[in-house]
Amino acid sequence: MTKITIDGREVEVDPKKPLIAACHEHASNVPMYCYHPGLSPVGSCRICQVEVKQGETPPRVVVACRTPVAEGMLVNTEAPKAHEARRQCLEFLLKNHPLDCPICDKAGECDLQDYAFMEGQGEGRSVEPRRKLEKRKSLGDVIVLDQERCILCSRCVRFFEEVTEKPQLTVAGLGARSTIETFADRPLEGNYQGNVADICPVGALTLKPFRFQARVWNLDKFASTCGECSRGCSITVEVLRRSEVKRLRPRPNPAVNQWWMCDHGRFSFPRFNTGPRLAGSLIRGTDGLEPIELEDALDEAADLVRAHGKPLLVVSPWLTQEEASAARELGGEGLFLSPAPSPLKDDFLHTGDPCPNRRGLSELGFAPVAPGEALERMRRAKLVFLVGERAAELCGIEALSTLPAWLRLVVFDTHPLASPAACVEIGVPDSCERTGTWINVDGHAGMLSIARSAPPGVAPLVRTLAELQRRAQGALAR
Amino acid sequence: MSAPLKRETYLLSRVDLPDSHRLAVYKANGGYAALEKVLTGGHTPAQVIQLVKDSGLRGRGGAGFSTGLKWSFMPDPAKDPRPRYLAVNADESEPGTCKDRVLMEKDPHGLVEGILVACYAMRVKTAYVYVRGEYRQSYERVEAAIAEARAAGLVGQKILGTDFACEIWMHKGAGAYICGEETGLMESLEGKRGHPRPKPPFPAGFGLWGQPTTVNNVETLSNVPFIVLRGAAWFQSLGTPKSPGNVLIGISGHVERPGVYELPLGIRARTVLEECASGVWKGRSLKAWLPGGSSTGFLPAAKIDVAMDHDSIKEAGSMLGTAAMVMLDETACTVRAMQVIARFYDHESCGQCSQCREGTQWLHQIFARLERGQGRREDIELLSSLANGMAPGKTICALSDAAAIPTHAVVKHFRDELEEHVRLGRCPLASPHDVSDWVAEEAHA
Repeated sequence: MTKITIDGREVEVDPKKPLIAACHEHASNVPMYCYHPGLSPVGSCRICQVEVKQGETPPRVVVACRTPVAEGMLVNTEAPKAHEARRQCLEFLLKNHPLDCPICDKAGECDLQDYAFMEGQGEGRSVEPRRKLEKRKSLGDVIVLDQERCILCSRCVRFFEEVTEKPQLTVAGLGARSTIETFADRPLEGNYQGNVADICPVGALTLKPFRFQARVWNLDKFASTCGECSRGCSITVEVLRRSEVKRLRPRPNPAVNQWWMCDHGRFSFPRFNTGPRLAGSLIRGTDGLEPIELEDALDEAADLVRAHGKPLLVVSPWLTQEEASAARELGGEGLFLSPAPSPLKDDFLHTGDPCPNRRGLSELGFAPVAPGEALERMRRAKLVFLVGERAAELCGIEALSTLPAWLRLVVFDTHPLASPAACVEIGVPDSCERTGTWINVDGHAGMLSIARSAPPGVAPLVRTLAELQRRAQGALAR
Repeated sequence: MSAPLKRETYLLSRVDLPDSHRLAVYKANGGYAALEKVLTGGHTPAQVIQLVKDSGLRGRGGAGFSTGLKWSFMPDPAKDPRPRYLAVNADESEPGTCKDRVLMEKDPHGLVEGILVACYAMRVKTAYVYVRGEYRQSYERVEAAIAEARAAGLVGQKILGTDFACEIWMHKGAGAYICGEETGLMESLEGKRGHPRPKPPFPAGFGLWGQPTTVNNVETLSNVPFIVLRGAAWFQSLGTPKSPGNVLIGISGHVERPGVYELPLGIRARTVLEECASGVWKGRSLKAWLPGGSSTGFLPAAKIDVAMDHDSIKEAGSMLGTAAMVMLDETACTVRAMQVIARFYDHESCGQCSQCREGTQWLHQIFARLERGQGRREDIELLSSLANGMAPGKTICALSDAAAIPTHAVVKHFRDELEEHVRLGRCPLASPHDVSDWVAEEAHA
């Protein structure tokens, strides 16, 4: 470790990282555009200028992203000269910027906006016409490029070069005529395109599914975990007015996904917004399924246990450790649905395994089973509890309705079954409505958090299962 | 100036000979004797570097850094066995500069010999000559010279029967000024966009393909065989103590006899103008001049008595640069001249650094506006303020500085003229005919 002084505080920093990383680690808000901790530093935007004094030489203003730390270095991020250099840099960056913040999706989380507010001069001195370039250039299914907003930081170019190692973007042209382009105008490819919209410091690269969907300051953000594969990337769930999920974004986690996530996971959120949800519980009566209080549904399920003995537990791969442990208490054989591997598997993040908690469920004694085989096993059982988000969907709703008439099926799901197959259906929260833990492929625990409330009449699955266990205690002990 | 400077011609001593570019003529006039002297005369590479250091030779590419010192930055091959390279900067593209071209077209073997001696001194086995794309004849002449030298056993393996081996490869630039910047040149040689690299790391440690590399200018290397043959003391006897040797001064613009002249460093600019170039053309008087190419900044006519060496010109408020003097007569408009210069840097900025990418364009737009008669009083302060934001040392390479320096100079020395443009709402020196030309030009830009 190297000892340096940042803004009067003596700190120990990693000598392998550039000065800007040390500044950020020690809470100095040095602005950055071209620098990104996950990409190689190029030192081209020049916004991260700080004053550095080494030895007896007079202090110099340097770019923090290309300056190595050295023992005894004195860093002043607030020096008047550094502020002046950053102000000048911003004036140049804003010279040709279209200033269309009112219609820009990035507004509110835009580094150009934020630093202009922090460091800028508040008034433009340019009377020259601004650059006219392509405002909405489609770069494939995911990304739209606004060349006028682009400040040519080249983060997106380096993302494809260094992270996915499949270069797709480049800076074309010279000087003020430079633009970001794909080779021969080909659309972007691959499962990681969305990341360039995250790392774009301005509103040049935006996500097609998010364009004009919400103002970012209206989004509430919750730390969570992606459930689309067993990588379990750390993400932020962004919810509009506590109801609609508008965006999933990666959350930096050096142990799991660094700064990135795949498009498959990123764009998996529409399922959280599709209804109708199973609000409350249903029981099969004389006229089909009828609404029923949760208490009564649980009594009914407990009666079934008393009548038929321990149930066969077929659980969703999205069950958390906490929910799976509660389910375990119900006894009986435990299976978790394990769908076919995804062809999206790659050697970066996507594991190809659609079960985010395979490792945790296996540790708790649940055996993986393909949906087809699960149905076979269910045919041979008298009482089946089908538990958790999308469990019925994985088995196939049609297939469930072909189960023998004598089978008693209790379904715990987020959505009601489209065709009648169950005696009892009990609503459960989805992944945005509950807390819990998934254990990913490498044994890392990923946390879920409550980004919005579950529909009325839906209790946390852990509590529902515990209540059921209490009611059926006598029967289960046999 | 106390004693008159010693005048002696060596760099251009062969250029007027018929077939001066051929090996036979070169050899007949003392060619490759320096190479033979270092290879067979028992000179160690370290001794050659020391000799060049002692001579005080300063790089002729513009920065004027000590060549011997630069060579000594190359790591010791015993401690650092990585491959190492010499890159010869023949991408001469500074507006006003055309001296390397003369050497490459008329005396290519002098360059080849300089390269070989430099490679021996730095223990380099591979050299690349990066020639400006538009310099077709330079490229062909140097290429032919290398082929002749190779056939004569002067390039390749076992040079002059010794264990010294050196290959020289040619590379043609594709028309970007920025590839003349040493790190931009290396990126371009590697087949990438010519984007200058941030320093550190410096080329001597991390250059071409990440290996130790030295980048030298053509004229610098052409000086080396003479230093080897005639000694450091002889070299010191020319020029000034701090800037020894002769320099190729290209003088162009409003003069009677433009051309490239070999003169000792420290010669008075007036002598170059009056003796070599026969004075300002058409009997007019001098208004402004650039001492070393477009990036050095205009000096007023009053400074014409300055000595053409690194320190004197710095004192006068400019830079020697590549010693490419561009003279403007009394009918020229410095605002118009700056518009042309600013347009060049706007066009040639690589676009990496924010200040340079946006600043060069902005300066160009302001100068163009002033010249069109649409300038505002506050534009003059804005020019200074923008130039302050672009330099010094605020960007990866010096292109931003190269645009800022002449801007500062014109505000400092020709403020009256700028103000007159604003006051009159037109260029005081332009004819209506010129104006239509600029409109067409601007549309093109």
